[in-house]
Amino acid sequence: MPAASNPLTQTGEPTTWNFKLLAQNDLGGFGGMGEGMAVQVAKDGRRIIWLAHESAPKNFTGVDVSDPRNPKVIVQTDLPHAQVRSNSLEMSGDILAVAYQTQKTGMKPAGFELFDCSVPEKPKSISFFDCSGATSRGVHQLWFCDGEYVHMASGAPDFKPSHPQDDQFYRCIDVRNPSKPVEVGRWWMPGTSATDNVAPPPRHPLDKGYRAHNTNVYPDRPDRLYLCYIDGGMFVMDIKDKANPKMISHWTNSPPYTGFMHTAVPLFDRNLMLVTDESTENNAKDWPKLIWVLDLRDETHPISIATCPLPPVDAYANRGGRFGAHNIHENTPVPTAWKSDQIVLGTFFNGGMRAFDISNPYQPKEVAAFVPPAPKGSTLGAIQLNDVYVDEREIVYTVDRFSGGLYTLEMNF
Amino acid sequence: MNEIFPSPAAGLFGRRLKRERGHRVPVTVITGFLGAGKTTLLRRFLATPEGQGTAVVVNEFGATGIDDALVRSSADETVLLGNGCLCCITRSDLQQALRRMVIERERGELPDFKRIVIETSGLADPSPILQTFATDRALGEVFHLEAVVTVVGAETGGDTLSWSAEARKQVILADRLVVTKSDIAGKSAASKLSTILRALNAGAEILEAINGALDPSRLTEPTSDQRNTFMAEAVHSDGIGSFVLTPDQPMPWPAFAKAMDTLIALRGPDLLRVKGFLAVEGCLGPVVVQFVQHLAHPPVELTAWPDGNRQSRLVFITKNISERQVRDLFAAVRALV
Repeated sequence: MPAASNPLTQTGEPTTWNFKLLAQNDLGGFGGMGEGMAVQVAKDGRRIIWLAHESAPKNFTGVDVSDPRNPKVIVQTDLPHAQVRSNSLEMSGDILAVAYQTQKTGMKPAGFELFDCSVPEKPKSISFFDCSGATSRGVHQLWFCDGEYVHMASGAPDFKPSHPQDDQFYRCIDVRNPSKPVEVGRWWMPGTSATDNVAPPPRHPLDKGYRAHNTNVYPDRPDRLYLCYIDGGMFVMDIKDKANPKMISHWTNSPPYTGFMHTAVPLFDRNLMLVTDESTENNAKDWPKLIWVLDLRDETHPISIATCPLPPVDAYANRGGRFGAHNIHENTPVPTAWKSDQIVLGTFFNGGMRAFDISNPYQPKEVAAFVPPAPKGSTLGAIQLNDVYVDEREIVYTVDRFSGGLYTLEMNF
Repeated sequence: MNEIFPSPAAGLFGRRLKRERGHRVPVTVITGFLGAGKTTLLRRFLATPEGQGTAVVVNEFGATGIDDALVRSSADETVLLGNGCLCCITRSDLQQALRRMVIERERGELPDFKRIVIETSGLADPSPILQTFATDRALGEVFHLEAVVTVVGAETGGDTLSWSAEARKQVILADRLVVTKSDIAGKSAASKLSTILRALNAGAEILEAINGALDPSRLTEPTSDQRNTFMAEAVHSDGIGSFVLTPDQPMPWPAFAKAMDTLIALRGPDLLRVKGFLAVEGCLGPVVVQFVQHLAHPPVELTAWPDGNRQSRLVFITKNISERQVRDLFAAVRALV
């Protein structure tokens, strides 16, 4: 009896199964969204979701989701030019951190900016941390949940990668004085700096780079960094001494898989970890891209025990755009995020958003799916859901990478 | 796997669910005596937006196949069980049909369906269908019985209920009662029938449908929180009675389980249906429990009490078992466990 996934979600046709769609908002026609989502409860009680855009011209958008059935854009900011993107953001209290990455090395602005959003309609710049340089594209992703440190995937003016693709590494920035951010530590995968005594790692066939992506740190273990390194796999890092991060363990699925490890989310009470790949190739040419479940009882020896079941690739491969794993809800350690070690919600581009029950981590089970039709303005002919966030009210927010903007949903499982 | 990967977020019965059915495919059973208007009701439902994606399983009695012919054109999928009365011989047929539907859907041989409606033969006792979803482990993983809807014709329903034990059982076991043809029968007959129905089943919602027109949600929404009102013990003909237990304090699960084990061991066949919310020591939300004769559905803990009322309420529909006997048994077991 097939039970791991639901046939309703297997055909590639749009479907809503065990979710309830509350609203969609195309964000004023700028609905191509990135992978930064954070929820603020403003001083006047309004609930604002801050959303990063996939690419220029928009920088970030604030949406009042106090009533998730009627989301309202309250502010939308612009980037200085078309060759910079701000694909990632995080919020701690009223301070919003926004990552800036340029298309080419040597360009500006490349770094991150802190904004005071205590008046949500008027985000006010506090400071800009410059990461630009001859070999740097700036910051692709950042993590900022404790109000004290920004952990990020970034280049630096004084870092020369052994391969041009490997320019972004882990950096930790002290922002306790948000007006004057100061770098306190950094780490890169051995062999990726031109100054290393270790040979550079061999290139993967799709060659997406040996560079940092997600840099998650949780208050449960403030001395641990869960670092994904794209073609380099996943690292558990000891950051007790922030100035000298040390590798505890390394896990990778590639080869034989096709690289681009994206996010690692530890489930502390259960000694488990979720690790995602990102699909980056259209028509599923990099299939399979999955959510992996790891046994982390011994953090020096992570073991893969399962993956979340996905529908047949044939049903989705040629529907338009990408198909495969990308972001998951990360149990972000802020008061406005839902926390679960029983349910995983992930986005799969044209595979929509899916929820999996991992109460038995050896047998993840699909329990809900949301595959909306191609949004208005899409040139791909299919949805490309890019990121997902669940607030502590259990309202689900997901975004389209091209034009659909924001979707709000309820979970019914 | 909680021994290896424990989670404080998991309850006594695993992941807490927002609703009893979790992710499973909802099943609605439409029952009712011959000529009551089940097919008309179903046909109207299938034409609504809520009815889209419904697969219909029709239980036939006799050879004419008229009910099946009526629904085939409008349902996504119809499976005809031709072996006669569901209560006698077709429970395994029903299981096989449901299994086959899921497998064929998986292979793309069947259109997608989001819901299943089982239309029983007019002569069917619904108990075996309820048992099907309690017992078959594979079916229980995929399907969840959401509602038993019994259709009663206003014109002849009262008369039928006076002589047919099967018809009475259909009413007694229903979550919802739908009175049809009241426009033909007249107000007085419809009102008289409502009184009879209320006497047989005090907890069920009674609805009216003219020419099958009914709010579709009455066929799709769960009913577990419907029986929230006080229901006095009622004893009907055939020795069938119903009552509600409302323990004031949260109960230790072992005490409840042992009491029900004892009741099942001694009088299983006479427990026609037991269903409700139970406050269990150590659980945050209510535990939904359900028994059909000697069979227990796996208990499910919900994330929250649906209406904020944390009062346990368990509806018992029994044959020749009194409320007093059950209360005394629970008290005795609780004192010992």
